[in-house]
Formats: sequence, structure tokens, C-alpha cells
Amino acid sequence: MTPMDRRTFLRRAGIVAAGSAAVGLGAGAAIPGLLHRFHRPWDDDAFAPPGRPKVLVARAASYDVDLESIVEVGLAEVGGSLAGRSVLLKPNLVEYDPGTVINTDPRLVAATVLAVRRLGASAVLVAEGPGHRRDTPFVVSASGLGERLAEVGARFVDLNLAPVTRVPLHSRFTDLGELWLPAPVVEADVVISMPKMKTHHWAGATLSMKNCFGCMPGRIYGWPKNVLHWAGLQEAIIDVASAVRPELQIVDGIVGMEGNGPIDGTPVQAGVLVFGTDPVATDSTAALVMGLDPAGIWHVSEAGRFLGQADPEQIVQVGEDPERSMTSFDVLPVFQDLTLGSNASDAAHPGLGDANA
Amino acid sequence: MSSLFERSAETLDRSRSGDAFGPTPGAEPEPEPTALAAIALDDDDARRWLAGAQRPDGSFGLTAGPVENDAPTGLAALALPPGDERERALDHLVATPARTLPSDPVVPHDPNVPGWGWALGTAGWVEPTARALLTFRRLRPGATTQIDGAVGFLADRECVGGGWNFGNRSVYYVDLPPFGQTTAAGLIGLHGLVSGYGLVLRGVDALRRLWPLERGPLTLAMSLAAFRLLDLADAEDLEHALEPTLDAPPMDVISLAWIALSSGPGLLELAVTG
Repeated sequence: MTPMDRRTFLRRAGIVAAGSAAVGLGAGAAIPGLLHRFHRPWDDDAFAPPGRPKVLVARAASYDVDLESIVEVGLAEVGGSLAGRSVLLKPNLVEYDPGTVINTDPRLVAATVLAVRRLGASAVLVAEGPGHRRDTPFVVSASGLGERLAEVGARFVDLNLAPVTRVPLHSRFTDLGELWLPAPVVEADVVISMPKMKTHHWAGATLSMKNCFGCMPGRIYGWPKNVLHWAGLQEAIIDVASAVRPELQIVDGIVGMEGNGPIDGTPVQAGVLVFGTDPVATDSTAALVMGLDPAGIWHVSEAGRFLGQADPEQIVQVGEDPERSMTSFDVLPVFQDLTLGSNASDAAHPGLGDANA
Repeated sequence: MSSLFERSAETLDRSRSGDAFGPTPGAEPEPEPTALAAIALDDDDARRWLAGAQRPDGSFGLTAGPVENDAPTGLAALALPPGDERERALDHLVATPARTLPSDPVVPHDPNVPGWGWALGTAGWVEPTARALLTFRRLRPGATTQIDGAVGFLADRECVGGGWNFGNRSVYYVDLPPFGQTTAAGLIGLHGLVSGYGLVLRGVDALRRLWPLERGPLTLAMSLAAFRLLDLADAEDLEHALEPTLDAPPMDVISLAWIALSSGPGLLELAVTG
């Protein structure tokens, strides 16, 4: 991995400190100086050392192309193994607002249902626990997801209401110690995280790791899942992703969101899907596709120490070159220094993990 | 009694798990669906289960390691008969307002009105605050500090033009829109309260605009409850809109209980006058 320069190190430390001041200390927060290198808030024996995972960036000009074939080939090329296994697709369906691109497109979700079946999955269901609204049937219906799932005969499960199972955490970036995950998530052989490619006004970007927040049941963690924000947003992203461990990822970047994401940003046509078997590598690659420096996105960088591979040079690209597929996503001024090629100074970052979604 | 109430009550009764109710039919019992069903069905078995589920600190909810969700406490107090359990639940609400942060230009809010949260030690949000407000107004009307604080919170978090979403009026200088379900929750808490008159007027306008577009069962049922508590004629249209939801595939118990509650006599248990 490329040695971390002083600017990057200070930037990360600054982010953590800001988050800690805003929300109270998570166990992984505010580790100054060289102590950071020795602070390893995870169980080594629970995580294989990050290797050289495959990631595939595929072109998809619109949602009207043959998405089923693109997804089938994409999953196969990165080494997804689904034959005889039960699959849970976890799209981003945080809320519904007409005319926006907040959510993973239902056409992609439906195409993935069909592709996963073609790849031999024994069962597939689609599940989400919307973070802002309690009326999940409304969100599913209004977003168009319900109609698309009916067309392909797939079942939807509301993760806000499903039975829960205690899952001890093997990473300790927050003080939570354990998470209570919905049984369908725990029992699925394979969880496929299907985020929308979006900027995020507290975290820089929201991709396959952050998408795992939707697995956390609202009837415990709230609407929004404010417990996770008080625990430290970026720290919680790591702990939740390390508990859910999505085995496969499909990032919907056909139309993404830039600017004031994840809710009030602007649609941006990026024309890509990103496939992977390592959520850190997938998010690192997706960040590059967005024109963002993955090393500057704290949760990606920290997760790269144990959960997966964050270093672009160690990721095996088996599809389009991410940098040649780049669409530069606009970010809020506070994240300007994430933009690749930016000369922005280390401006103050927002109080990460404040009380909001 | 309306056919909507009879149908929803019968379906709700069939969804019980032993004496109580889980979030989905037949699931492990939990306080929120059990409290709602106890009120909707006037069910003493559910009330007994609820009393047995009270935590030592007087709260009701789900515990997940260090996370204590206590948001059902107000609903449980409303469901319980007068007595020690109910008083201890009210005491818990008094003792546990939400945590606050200093106001921030990108997420403006008044830190002097914390409201109530979903889980202990976290920020305040619209639905749990509206529940606390209703609970105090019905069961402990002398708790004026808490009542005024809850109204202040709802005023602080009101969306531009009226109504509420989960609880952020604006983020990063963008005004966020209200949602039907949370607007209904706010109106249920505020109905009949003189000091909340302006909020109610604007909230009703917002809800009249929202519910025809947000036809989920929970949104429609809580909207019906709000309009009935406010004695507005819109309730009839909402009853019609709710009828077909009972023909849909199995519904979650919380929505089902709200349908039975809003269309039946149990709603009187949420009514506050003066």
C-alpha cells in the first residue's frame, strides 16, 4: 500500500476528531499521532488479510439496456459463486421523493433478481429497512420497486420489522459491541449490497459499505437510525459493514447523485455499474469512478486496514479502467479536497455523525 | 361500528402471538405492537403482557446490547390501566428527554427543546416526541414543562409550509419536505391544544396534500386517526382509502393496529380535550 503522506494522515485525524467532538467518542475515534498505527480495533483472526480482489466496472448507458446480461457477466467475472445458495439483495431504498435518484433503480434490482437466478441461486429475496420513513409499503410501491419485483416474482422483506439476531462485533470502531441484525440478513448465504452511487454530505460518499445501514432495524435503531450516528457515523459504517459482510456488491452508477447527497443532490449520468466481492475494494473503485480520492474517504481508508482492499494498486480491475470511466462528481465545498486533482486545502470537515441521516 | 374496524380488528386478533403481538403476524411479542393492539382491541391479555414487559427503569422497548430503544413507553402508558406501572412509565418519560447538540448552521435546530428520541441517549425526533406529548397531555396534564417542551420541539422541526418529516426542517440549506405519516403523528400529539393551533392548521393543510399521494397503510391509518381526533370530515375519504389495504397481502401488525385503532372506539383512548 502506498505510504500515507502527512497531509492525508492529518486529514483523517481531523475527520475523526470532528466526529468525536460532535457525537461522543466511539472506541476507534481520535487516536493521535503514531498511536493510530498501533490502534487496531478489530479481531485479527476474524478477518483475512486484504488480498488482491477483482472489481469490474461495466458500462451501462441507461436502465433500458440488457441489464440482466450485464449483471450476470459482471458477477461471474468477479468470481461470484451463487449456485445452490440463497441470496438477499439489499438495494438502497432509504426514502421516496418523486423526481429524485435517491434509490437504487428498480429496473436494476429486477434485472439482478433474474441474473442471480440464472447463476443458479437457490432462492432470492429483496430486503431493505428504509431509514427515513416507517411506511415501507408506501416506499416500495411509490418507488416502483414493488411493481418490478412483482414482474419477476420476487419477494420483498421489510428489514425494519423482521425478527432480529444478536451478532457480536469483531471490529470496535464504535462502542456498540454487538449489533442486532435481521434474521433474513444473517441467514442468507449471500448478501449482495446494491447501493446507489452517491456523494454523502457527512461521509464524502455512500456506497456498498454505507448501504449496509439499511440492514439495521429501525424499531431498534430508530428512524433515522440515529443510534449509529451518535456512535460516530464513519465508525459505524465500518462496524456495520464488518458485521453484515456483503459477499458481493453491485453499485448503481448508471445515474448517480452528486453534490448534496444522499438525499438532496443532483442526478449525474455516470453510465457505469461496479461489481465486486470485497466491499472496500468496490467502494474504493467506485470512488475513483466518481473522481474522488478513496484514500480521503475515512471509512474506506480505515476499512482497508482489515476488512478489505482499499489500495487501488492492489485491486485487480477486470472490466473498464476506472479512471477512464471517471465522471467527476461535484461535492460540497467541505469535501472539495476529496476531488482528484483538487488543490483544495485541508478545509474543516463537517461534524461527522451528527444527529441526522 | 364501521366495517373497517370490524375487519381490521378481526385480522389483528388473528395476528397475535399468545397473549400479545409482534411486529408481523405471529412474530415474537414486542411492546409497540402490543400497546397499540391493547388499545385498539381493549385487550386485557395484551395489557397483562405489557405490564410484565416493563423494564426496571419504567420504560418499555427493545434492548439490543448497549442500545435501549424506549420509544414505545408513551404508547404503553396509554394502554395500561391507572396504577404503578403507568406512573413509572410516565416518570421514565419525564426523566429521559433526548440528548442535544449545539445548533449547527447546516442542521439548524433549537437545543433548548430536546424532544424525545427513539433510543436512550440519542437525539429527539418527531414521532417519539409527538407520542410523549400525547401521553403527558392525557395522563399527566400537570407536566407543563414537558408538554411545552414537546410543542416547542414540534414548532422547531416543522417543515416550511407545515407538517413534519422524521425531524429535520433543513439540511445543508435545503428545506426538506414533510411526510404524511409523521405529519399525522404530529397532529395526533397536538390535536385540541390551543398553543399548537398554528402548527395544527398548517399540518392539516400538509396532510390533506400528502395522504392522497402516500397511500401506505400506516400513513393512511395514522392520518385517519389524526383527522378523527380533529373531527374533520376528511376521515370519511380516508376510511374508503383504507378499505382495500385490508385485501392486500399480510400487513404488518403496527399498521393493522393503527387501522383498528383509528377506525374504532379505541381512538377515544388517545383523545384529549381542552
